[in-house]
Amino acid sequence: MRLNEDPVAFEAFYRRHIDAVMRFVVRRVSDPHLAADLTADVFLAVLDSAHTYRPGRGSEVAWLYGIARNVVSAQHRRAARDARLAGRVAGRRMMDDDDLGRMEERIDAERRMREAFRAMADLPDGERAVLELVAIDQLTVTQAAEALGVRQVTARVRLHRARRALQGVVSPTVRQMEGSA
Amino acid sequence: MSNFEERLLSALKQDMAAREPAGREAAATVTRARRGPNRRLLGLAAGVTGVAAAATVAFTLIGGAGNPAFAVEERADGSVEVRIDEFREPEELEAALAGKGVTAVVDYLPQGQTCREPRGERGEAGRPDEPMQVQVTGGGGITFRIGKGQVGAGETLVLAVSFDRARPEQAPAGMSLAVVRGAVAPCEAVPMDIPRNGRPAGPEPTGPVTHERSGGDDGPSLNTDGG
Repeated sequence: MRLNEDPVAFEAFYRRHIDAVMRFVVRRVSDPHLAADLTADVFLAVLDSAHTYRPGRGSEVAWLYGIARNVVSAQHRRAARDARLAGRVAGRRMMDDDDLGRMEERIDAERRMREAFRAMADLPDGERAVLELVAIDQLTVTQAAEALGVRQVTARVRLHRARRALQGVVSPTVRQMEGSA
Repeated sequence: MSNFEERLLSALKQDMAAREPAGREAAATVTRARRGPNRRLLGLAAGVTGVAAAATVAFTLIGGAGNPAFAVEERADGSVEVRIDEFREPEELEAALAGKGVTAVVDYLPQGQTCREPRGERGEAGRPDEPMQVQVTGGGGITFRIGKGQVGAGETLVLAVSFDRARPEQAPAGMSLAVVRGAVAPCEAVPMDIPRNGRPAGPEPTGPVTHERSGGDDGPSLNTDGG
């Protein structure tokens, strides 16, 4: 089954994950318009990358979050290079006032997570990537490893290092979530 | 589900419809051109305003599922020409190479990752055809030629390519192609060793790895690690 060829399958996939994708995005950006753009971009990237989707091979969530991460970090790079580009993407045009309000609520709800996300900024990329997916997005270590294309043992080691490095930096909430993940 | 979510779904479905097989072939050449934010803008705008999907075909199609990911051809001189257009179906590529008498291990990794080296004992040193020349195709794929006998009995061609899953049409960020004698270690993905030059908020490393360097969105130039 290819997600980009079967509208029914794609719609089911979309409905399964739209909420999680929006949460994923607003944990990383606080602008509602940008959040709408990025949500659209993630699903466009899903369609673009549908050939890499293998239902039998690992979890769908891990695959999706791997893509979402690429999209959001590409946006960060774009923002750094040329802030004007952000205004040219169209997800934001689909929001009416109600949507805007709801998006802002989502953004408020994830404020703590964005703070935790910022607290990780100084970690090495590999470690932060694992911690991000486990602590912020609540993937299992197995899923995080898969999303990042690393072995489980590698992910565990990085998570361990990241936790150690962050002792005393991250809020208790996040530490607790890491522990339970 | 709210209006935004439903509108987005409709727009995405239109984007999908524009990728239907009828249009795919015609647009295949277009997709090889660089795509950027404009494509997204047009695709989604069509969803909102009801512009005919056909108008956006040229911008929204990717060289998708209908196209073969790679081609493996044997030449008259006994060499094998490999062309990879899309970094998917590594097992199928391995099987195709096996069909030409070349044992191969192929791994496609997300951007920013490479396989831990060494994968095994190098088997190609001192051969005439070394190093193998790898060229990047216009569409972000690669081609290379395996000389006759270059991968001998008991040897394995080991290919690892790192590319951005969200932008499969771009040239790979890094690549390694080598001949290994004897057992080949499974790919243990490790972060690419990249010098960090000012990291904004973006957690994703961009750039090359062990052997090769992509110049960003434009023309990458690759040099294989020939051993």
